[in-house]
Amino acid sequence: MKCLICGRETSGDLCKYHLAAKAKVDEAYPKWVKAFGGIEWKEYLDNVKRNVQTGQWAKEIAEFLQSG
Amino acid sequence: MGSGYTLVICEKPDAARRVSGALSGGDFRSELVDGTTVFRFARNREDFVVCSAQGHVYGVSDPAKERSVYPVFDVEWYSSDLVDEDSASAARRIAAVRKLAAGASKFVNACDFDVEGETIGFNLLRYACGGREGVALRARFSTLTQEDLVKAFDDLRPQEGQGLARAGRARHAIDFVWGVNLSRALSQSALGSGHRYRTVSVGRVQGPTLGFLVEREREIREFVPLPYWKVVGTFDRGGRKFNADYSKPKVEERALARQVREECLGKEAVATMVRKSIARMGPPVPFNIGDLQKEAYRAFGYSPSRTLQVVERLYLGALISYPRTGSQRLPPSINYRQILQGIGRAREYSVFVAELLKSEPKPVQGAKSDPAHPAIHPTGERPSSPLDSAESTLLDLVTRRFLAAFGPSARRELVDVTLGVGEHEFRIGGGRTLFQGWMRYLGKFAGYRDAEPPEISEGDRFNVVDVLVDQKFEQRPPRYNQSSLLERMESEVIGTKATRADTISTLVEREYVSGGSMEVTDLGLSVVETMAKYAPSIISTQLTREIEEKLEAVEGGVEGGAALLRETVRSVAGQVAELSANEEAVGREIDSALMATVAKAFVLGRCPVCKTGELRVIRSKRTKKRFVGCSNYPNGCRASAPLPQRGTVKPTPRICEHCSWPIVQIMGGRRPWRLCVDPRCPGKGKP
Repeated sequence: MKCLICGRETSGDLCKYHLAAKAKVDEAYPKWVKAFGGIEWKEYLDNVKRNVQTGQWAKEIAEFLQSG
Repeated sequence: MGSGYTLVICEKPDAARRVSGALSGGDFRSELVDGTTVFRFARNREDFVVCSAQGHVYGVSDPAKERSVYPVFDVEWYSSDLVDEDSASAARRIAAVRKLAAGASKFVNACDFDVEGETIGFNLLRYACGGREGVALRARFSTLTQEDLVKAFDDLRPQEGQGLARAGRARHAIDFVWGVNLSRALSQSALGSGHRYRTVSVGRVQGPTLGFLVEREREIREFVPLPYWKVVGTFDRGGRKFNADYSKPKVEERALARQVREECLGKEAVATMVRKSIARMGPPVPFNIGDLQKEAYRAFGYSPSRTLQVVERLYLGALISYPRTGSQRLPPSINYRQILQGIGRAREYSVFVAELLKSEPKPVQGAKSDPAHPAIHPTGERPSSPLDSAESTLLDLVTRRFLAAFGPSARRELVDVTLGVGEHEFRIGGGRTLFQGWMRYLGKFAGYRDAEPPEISEGDRFNVVDVLVDQKFEQRPPRYNQSSLLERMESEVIGTKATRADTISTLVEREYVSGGSMEVTDLGLSVVETMAKYAPSIISTQLTREIEEKLEAVEGGVEGGAALLRETVRSVAGQVAELSANEEAVGREIDSALMATVAKAFVLGRCPVCKTGELRVIRSKRTKKRFVGCSNYPNGCRASAPLPQRGTVKPTPRICEHCSWPIVQIMGGRRPWRLCVDPRCPGKGKP
């Protein structure tokens, strides 16, 4: 199988790089919720995607999750 | 001159000329032997012939020299031109030394006194001079000044133990066995996937170094920033305003940051603590090569390999001491006073030198030492020909650092003020230089700036004028640059002071990382991941470090190089077998990364005409010329532009502000230049 985002060989939907990035995106969400006193998942993804500090794979995951 | 002369072997042609000039008092003649310049003169009624290598003229290879064959564990030394196409003059130089050796009665090894120099001299004496490595005398010097060279030749010594040469030869053999087998295994795997041959190398030091870069690259690409708030208070007393940071630099919740603002606005602040201290700051220790490379990168952006090349030229010009040293110490034997007097002849340093010579000069010493050479220092000699910009810049840096090492300590006043507003605290810090001491000698390289806080005493009261709450995001980890990577290699004790810069350059050449930002490419990622899966110890620092420690034992004569080579062969054989057994899978992984890396190197950016395609560098099958075209050409997009036919075209992330076409960098010639690829760009010709 190929990673749905980058086309690398993988045994699941996502390669190990994008899986690791997804874990980071998931892990950061509750921290953003606490920091802002609440933020919707979609708005969070949009912010992560647009933030200049976000890493390339995390941005790709945010975009992938938004479109899914 | 007939037979019976002393044959002196130097490491480089420039060194041979200097040695000849110094020993003959300038009365020497040059001649060509097999197309190589050698020098002849008489000294103390003894005839001398001085010849030179050009770096390594012998290299390690396997007898088959067939790049598709692996594993190979039989290694031999060959003339470098047979090993490396770029060493075409090696055979000529060896032939010249061989011819001259026939008429010599005495041999002197005058190559640089370190592992590489010893290896170069040893190999020439063994292979070109008919096994004279055991009887040759050694000239040891740390600068190429006349005084040092004369002293070295007045004090010629028998070769001691040859531990350095043995370690050097072992290092070359180990690195060859390591690199050639793993690189061939990787390259052949990629070739098996159906693409043309391309070297995919992984060296003994290269593997772990690339591992550091990949580890950081993954952190960067996975990074999700967390928000935080920075709170800054503005305070006022009698119309004089100043700012102070909230005591917690990062407030993690917006509500808490706003609460601080609300609880402080309109209140009165009291200076609850004013702490002043005087810090005595000793001078920086003398440069070793790693420290110099880091400082040159910090101050001028010079890559470590560029710095090494420039300081080697300064050494060959007898302007500084031998640069490939690990020492941070300046022994009295270098004659501080004489060097300072030499430096003082230059107008820009004369005042400093006069100050330093008022008393007996004594430098600060660093912790690191090197038995072969002192710390890098100027010789005090004046350049005999004009220096280029990089040479004069680095000579100035080395000279100022040398002067600073003799300077008195500087004194700085550090101030730390705490302002209390109810339960909240704000802080201001600052410092000012009370006495410059050595900082004056270092000038702009001293790196301390004064930031004086307002004059405040404990108990002083202020109005809180404003409290600014600024939302920020955590910064992702920085990529390594060439300097910080060098530092990491040093701290992990991998590579040597002489080879670390070359290892970094090789990573760029192999396209494992991009040169400027040190961003790891898909290929770099893939090489490390493949190694981690099939040959993990190759990218571990532990194995490389262990070998490095054992090589040091060989240098010291504690161990023999042969046993270490056998041990390495055993270790590499197991890893190669694992790679070989998985050749198909390895090939697939490397190959797709190779294609992605190559493809990315040709993509310049989004097409500004059709807005959906990518502009790429394309080579015309008919004219063989390169140009820019859109990937949407089959769908009708006709965006295209010519490109310069010389130099390497590198994509940049920049878009032209005038026409929205990509800006590329053209590498080649004296310095790289940027170009908007649109020939019709309205910005063309504008300053």
